[in-house]
Amino acid sequence: MIGEKLYHKKMKNGLNVYVLHKKGYNKKYAVFATHYGSIDNKFVVPGETEPLEVPEGIAHFLEHKLFEEEFGNIFDKFADLGASANAYTNYTYTAYLFSCTSRFEENLNLLLDFVQRPYFTKENVEKEKGIIEQELRMYQDDPHWSVLHNLLQSLYRLHPIRIDIGGTVESIQKIDVETLYKCYETFYHPENMVLFIVGDFDVIRVFELVEKNISKREYKPRGKITRIYPEESKEINQKKVTKRMSVSRPLVNIGFKDNNNGFRGRDLFKKIVTSEILLHMLFGKSSELFWKLYDDDLIDDNFDFDYEGNVDYGFAIIGTPTRDPDKLHAKLLEGIEYYRKKSFEKDDYIRTKNMVTGNYIKGFNSLEFISMLFVGNYFKQINVLDFIEVLGEITFEDVEKRFYELLNPDYHSCSVIEPISTKS
Amino acid sequence: MEKIFTKKVLDNGINVYLLPTDKFKTTNIKVFIYQNLENNLVTKTAFLPFILRRGSFRFPTTQQLMRHLDNLYGASFGTDVLKKGEQHILQFRLDLVNSNFLPDNVNLLEEGLDVLKEMILNPLTENGGFKKEYFEQEKKILMRHIQSLFDNKMQYAIERCFQEMCKGERFSLYKYGRLEDIDELDASELYTYYKDMLLRNPIDIYVTGKLDEEQTYRLIQEKFGFERHSGEKLKPTLIDKDVEKVKEVIEKHEISQGKISLGLRTYTTYGDDDYYALLMASGVLGGGPHSKLFQNVREKASLAYYIFSKVEKFKGVMIISSGIEFKNYKKALDIIKEQLNDVKRGSITEQELEGTRKSIINSLKETADSPGALISFYQDGAIIGKQETIEDFIEKISRVGISDIKRVSEKITLDTIYFLTNKGVEFS
Repeated sequence: MIGEKLYHKKMKNGLNVYVLHKKGYNKKYAVFATHYGSIDNKFVVPGETEPLEVPEGIAHFLEHKLFEEEFGNIFDKFADLGASANAYTNYTYTAYLFSCTSRFEENLNLLLDFVQRPYFTKENVEKEKGIIEQELRMYQDDPHWSVLHNLLQSLYRLHPIRIDIGGTVESIQKIDVETLYKCYETFYHPENMVLFIVGDFDVIRVFELVEKNISKREYKPRGKITRIYPEESKEINQKKVTKRMSVSRPLVNIGFKDNNNGFRGRDLFKKIVTSEILLHMLFGKSSELFWKLYDDDLIDDNFDFDYEGNVDYGFAIIGTPTRDPDKLHAKLLEGIEYYRKKSFEKDDYIRTKNMVTGNYIKGFNSLEFISMLFVGNYFKQINVLDFIEVLGEITFEDVEKRFYELLNPDYHSCSVIEPISTKS
Repeated sequence: MEKIFTKKVLDNGINVYLLPTDKFKTTNIKVFIYQNLENNLVTKTAFLPFILRRGSFRFPTTQQLMRHLDNLYGASFGTDVLKKGEQHILQFRLDLVNSNFLPDNVNLLEEGLDVLKEMILNPLTENGGFKKEYFEQEKKILMRHIQSLFDNKMQYAIERCFQEMCKGERFSLYKYGRLEDIDELDASELYTYYKDMLLRNPIDIYVTGKLDEEQTYRLIQEKFGFERHSGEKLKPTLIDKDVEKVKEVIEKHEISQGKISLGLRTYTTYGDDDYYALLMASGVLGGGPHSKLFQNVREKASLAYYIFSKVEKFKGVMIISSGIEFKNYKKALDIIKEQLNDVKRGSITEQELEGTRKSIINSLKETADSPGALISFYQDGAIIGKQETIEDFIEKISRVGISDIKRVSEKITLDTIYFLTNKGVEFS
């Protein structure tokens, strides 16, 4: 129905390559990603026995440093080829990407080459600390970032999701060449990575190019990486957290800790989509609750919600600027309580499903969106192209069940940013 | 061959731009109503997207509208204002999923146009004015919206820089208006103002996606063919303002990172032949990782995470923006000025020149892959009366040489340095 065809090939050294053909697009886009994110800061290096604990923010630091090569910065090489390159690190994976409208094959080789060619020196590692410090400070001034960071620290007691992806100004000082190489050797192996390519090109040729590039590197099969995460309890860490910042008005994030975890693949996908339908039905712009809060002058169009579901953690967030955080918090809980007593409307459910379908299809206009969606879900063993099928399997009862499971007030926290002073 | 929008004009003077394509999953419609950016109008115009999205006679509550859009498979409707030079533009947007991806191949185009028609031509009113209840709610929301600029410090530092730089010029007005005008907004007066805009001001409708040109034009004529007066011409944007002395503005708040903005006048706009050279100059200076600012401020001196320069093509002003440690203000400023001077002197390497050219051409080609970017590209051309395709644009970028960059850069004049810093930080 979506009219997209996905091609897949597993290379000899274990790399999974996926190609999506988008006819008529000028842009070509490739993402090379590793299943290694900010939460992976304690692990056993294959072949060793003792766990290694690394400084917070090292996955993100490594991402920055891979762009440096013996002969200079890789950005310049992409610029020479007319491409724009970028990378991002999040909780569970790190992705390197480029987009271009010409010389695609050279760019693809460049992407594969630089990610497979670490070059860390004492000097270039030290230099990066100044740049990353400014990146962290930029986020510190962002109220949306701060309110989320504080929320996760409140929802989770031990799980490293409570740590900032970039680490702290202090933690990054501890990063050195040797540890960077250890992390690199552990996580940047084709078996732990994925390559996703999208655009209008000859699919067979693309597979051949990748095969040729990867096979010359003689990777040895690598043992399993043992990732060590602390045992997180069901309980939240704290109910409420408030921080003062230079902002024009208060900002609130209310989070619900999902304690039904351990799924992957299609089961996890179904849980995620069910959660999204649920949140839209309860809090979307078509819901009763949204307009009640709007009429009470507690929210506006900036009101937003999201569900983040991964294998061993999950949470729903409702976020908004508001004139009165306490009142909003109370009214939201009241709204949720209301649905504990009264059942959902079937009409709302059907309408929401139509909307979610449309939103998914619309997303396929953008190569960036498709790539993010694909890679983000890949490491959860989810194929996003199954969306319409999974949506079809979800029933009204699934949504009702999910409501009691996810939006349990016993496991929720409230994070607030308050203005420092009234600013005119 | 590149497909371009065909322009037709309705009997009432509304311009219709259509571009059929099967490339996208959606059909995208945008309606623009143009107004002068003006002290006494800015807040009125800015308020319109807020009140107009609340309801119409067919959808008397916003919730009803939203439910209808859900049923149209998540059609997304939005209203906003844009600022291009000293023009203030009211925008309505509707994105619809194409029939071939939907069950039973339902075609949503006509229903979508009906929604737009309702929201634009039939807004909810009572006693000759916008519905009072919504009007009062949205006044508060606009007020907070204006104040919330402060919450995004990078944007705030850019906007504040232009405000200081263009004091007294219409360009200094924030596109969401002025706080002090909000109290005085009146539901009847504003409705009259809006009706007048519909009758007199220039209006464009853009549609791209899965459509039949003839049929779509007919549908638009049917829905938007209302009677209008002869079109009002908008004022030109003021470009040639001399800089007498460089202004330095320091503003202090409790923050973690300093934000520096430099506002410059280029005296070159999209209408000029030299615009392409200016775009190249700005690209060499701060248009990405290959640029002088990125290389020198970030990579060599390790002073910043982000730094860029950008041109506003209708006013011909340029901004340089970066986030730095408070104490590095002077140091960063020196390096930035040095890079600008290098561009002016034509001290540009082959790599900087070609890297910039390729990067601009790449983003131009990418324009054709996004319905929104495509509409925006052709709209910009239409605003200055230039009929230019993406290929034409690329062709002109291809011909820019260092001597052109030097010539156009010589005119670039620093006007204002704005620094957002922390309370308690002293300057020597």
